[in-house]
Amino acid sequence: MPMLPPVSKRHTGWRLFLMTVIGRSYPRVVGMQRERSWIFFDTFLPMLSVAAYVFVYRAIKAPEDYVGFVVVGGAMMAYWMNVLWSMASQLYWEKETGNLALYIISPGSMMAILLGMALGGLFATTLRAVGIILLGSLLFQVHFVIASATQLILVFFLTMVSLYGLGMMTASLFLLLSREAWHISNLAQEPIFLISGFYFPIKNFPAWVPMVGSFIPLTLGMDAMRQLAFASGPSLGWISVNIEIMGLIVLSIMFLMGARLLLNYMERLAVREGRLTESRG
Amino acid sequence: MAAWLGWKIESNWTDPFLFTIYSIVKPLAAAMILVVMYGVITNNQFGSPVFAYLFIGNAFYQYVANVMVGVSWAIVDDREHYCTLKYLYVSPISIPYYLMGRGVARVLITTFSVFIIMVVGVAFLHIPFNPAQINWPLFVLSLVIGIIMLAMLGLLLAGVTLRMAQYSFNIGDSVAGALYLFSGAIFPLEVLPAFLRPLGYIMPISYWLELIRRSLVGGVAESFPTFAAISDVNLLLILAALSVLFGVVSVWAWKKFDWEARERGLLDQTNNY
Amino acid sequence: MENHYAIETQSLGRVYKIRNPGKKENKTLTALEGVDLQIKPGELFGLLGPNGAGKTTLIKILTTLLAPTHGYASVAGYDVSKSPDDVRQRINMVSGGESSGYGLLTVRENLWMFAQFYGIESKEANQRIKTLLEIVGIADRANSRSSNLSTGLRQKMNIVRGFLTDPEILFLDEPTLGLDVGASRDVRSFIRRWMDDDPKRTLLLTTHYMIEADELCDRVAIINKGKVLACGTPASLKQSLQKDAIFHIDLDSPKVLVESVFSILPGVTSVKIHDNENKTIMDLVLDEESALANVIATVTSQGAQIVTLQKREPTLEDVFVKLVGQRMEEVEHADAPAS
Ligand SMILES: Nc1ncnc2c1ncn2[C@@H]1O[C@H](COP(=O)(O)OP(=O)(O)OP(=O)(O)O)[C@@H](O)[C@H]1O
Ligand SMILES: [Mg+2]
Repeated sequence: MPMLPPVSKRHTGWRLFLMTVIGRSYPRVVGMQRERSWIFFDTFLPMLSVAAYVFVYRAIKAPEDYVGFVVVGGAMMAYWMNVLWSMASQLYWEKETGNLALYIISPGSMMAILLGMALGGLFATTLRAVGIILLGSLLFQVHFVIASATQLILVFFLTMVSLYGLGMMTASLFLLLSREAWHISNLAQEPIFLISGFYFPIKNFPAWVPMVGSFIPLTLGMDAMRQLAFASGPSLGWISVNIEIMGLIVLSIMFLMGARLLLNYMERLAVREGRLTESRG
Repeated sequence: MAAWLGWKIESNWTDPFLFTIYSIVKPLAAAMILVVMYGVITNNQFGSPVFAYLFIGNAFYQYVANVMVGVSWAIVDDREHYCTLKYLYVSPISIPYYLMGRGVARVLITTFSVFIIMVVGVAFLHIPFNPAQINWPLFVLSLVIGIIMLAMLGLLLAGVTLRMAQYSFNIGDSVAGALYLFSGAIFPLEVLPAFLRPLGYIMPISYWLELIRRSLVGGVAESFPTFAAISDVNLLLILAALSVLFGVVSVWAWKKFDWEARERGLLDQTNNY
Repeated sequence: MENHYAIETQSLGRVYKIRNPGKKENKTLTALEGVDLQIKPGELFGLLGPNGAGKTTLIKILTTLLAPTHGYASVAGYDVSKSPDDVRQRINMVSGGESSGYGLLTVRENLWMFAQFYGIESKEANQRIKTLLEIVGIADRANSRSSNLSTGLRQKMNIVRGFLTDPEILFLDEPTLGLDVGASRDVRSFIRRWMDDDPKRTLLLTTHYMIEADELCDRVAIINKGKVLACGTPASLKQSLQKDAIFHIDLDSPKVLVESVFSILPGVTSVKIHDNENKTIMDLVLDEESALANVIATVTSQGAQIVTLQKREPTLEDVFVKLVGQRMEEVEHADAPAS
């Protein structure tokens, strides 16, 4: 008697794609929440550094809306950190543990794996970001004035698509790197905090800075969100929200397509050079 | 021997590219965030003592972020990234000394980076600097005590990190972020709500940063009321006393957590997701 | 597509470039050279070779993780370089000592996740996981976090992952690496049962354990330094030594005996001498039994005494010695410091 019947049905095509996405997002959607302490470490502690910047603004007697900018910036920062540390340099860890090889030899596409990573990370981070926004708004009495809820949601959605698209693209780009990936992510942390304007409006920079910074979707996204969610926002905006929305659409398409192309290219290169499975050394 | 090993690991930072990232680009960008925040609100009034207060506090706070976090991060780094922690454990190396070795490397690198930031501040941002007015002995003494204190705090954090194996990714950074808030690094403690201020008063870091500011730019520190009533000598004594206190607590906590971690087999746990 | 081989290679080769950060010129390393293999559907094929022989390299090529630099390889009838996607739908791979999956997930969740990547529906996947975990005897650990598993349990989980998707062709790279005797036996008997269940399944495994190749595999290829030295059923490989006489001699010798003294004697094909505790053991392969008299005379003339003398059946180890001129362990020890 056979101990195990053959597999009765194997999905292919888009069903397989979807299943792969769900499979890969699972560890992040479920696993990352498993340890209750994340509430403390990922919400409460970032809150403290948000508070530090809030008090700087209070110490120099800034208008109250700036406090709100810091709170929103703190929440968005959670996404940036997630993209840097759990997307861009992720394939390096996957390579080290041997998962990467298994992903590649599975019939599910690597694009679906990356997408699953992104969606899982997006979900887990949203829990954290909501925590930061709620806690921050309560503690510092942030006063939101929503100009257009639809636009705000659209901007947030597009920011996330393009941000995680960027994450997927860098993940493919970093496929061949090893420990350098980690250093590059580290390098991109503070300078991006600065030029994307996590804690202040970017309008005050010379125009070329936000222009360069616009390659990071958060720059446009946050500028638009500030304009849409705060009373003094429109007067502090860099360019009009509609242009920023257009910009985000362009970035989304560019990054997602870039991710696909780069992934194919890098995979072929890695197979040729034998660098898909090598671990340290 | 153990310290030497720690040094070797940290000093792959001598790679010029990495060195630039960690000792110049990252700290400078972080400082610039504050500079821009300040500039936006005050219309670039960089001559004010408020600015010097936060700029110097932020620059020297790097010692906290690097030394304290560096010592504790070594645990995570070894466990998660190199998976070598367990091997260190079975080797006859004393872990605290090994961690301290990594700390020393960090001190040197941080000193360089603080220097760069101060140069930028003096050159471009009107930070007052007059070698004749600097109280050098006070500065050096405070710096040394401060660094030892930070290393001890690092050991405490390392113990906690070791014990909380399930969740250690950003703990060092997060604590450094928290202390940034409570130790008067970038704004005087008076800005905090009254019930939070005592936290600042028990942290040795608050007194240390105040001493650094006083020794470098006496006038600026005096325009803030926090510690105005306390003389330099008394500040030093308070710093020393608190350092000893925290040192004792750290060593005790390290021993306890270290023992518990062995007990529960947390030395080779990893948390990739 | 019934008349194709499950796995076929034609003068397959792989040369690695060794990236040398300090120096300019790149060295190259030939990991695999001129490999011709034909493995039929239904075969359990073993690759036997010492460390660094090129076993893993061959598996990587066949599983589409590494491009060959020379020759051609096909799996399930598809060219691994030209149509990797077709190959990937039909294979799976498990490596000894791998740490795949996520420590935060339970054993069951990790396995479920991999089943997703193969398009197997959750209900069926969970059913199969349950059955497989029971068969390998870790059903009680289904809900423990995989980070808490011991090496042996973890390897069983990995093995289950390989069989879970019921691949047409399964690659196992040193599946019993790091397992104790009992666990290795479990794994081996499971592999055998799985193969016996369905005549269309093909399995390629690498090992450097002689018994594993001998007991388990239908056919074995002996590989060393990137080249296949011999290929056939374990019996036929040993058959090639059948006309030779193989002796196992325990000696009591006051001084160290030198192999070269014996290997020049007429009729001696190979001789290996090693110490085991306080005995000296001599493994002897002779063209014909009559050469034994000479050997015994020489032993005595060296002042040694024969404690026991056994004629024994040839093993794969003997085949390896005959082909390579060294025992497998010696090859491995010789190579170890170089890497
Ligand atoms: N990515 C790589 N770059 C350079 N050389 C490599 C690479 N991978 C393997 N090699 C070399 O190729 C040779 C064959 O390696 P391979 O891993 O195939 O051996 P193996 O038979 O699997 O050995 P083991 O029993 O130790 O697993 C070795 O000398 C190895 O050092
Ligand atoms: Mg191998």
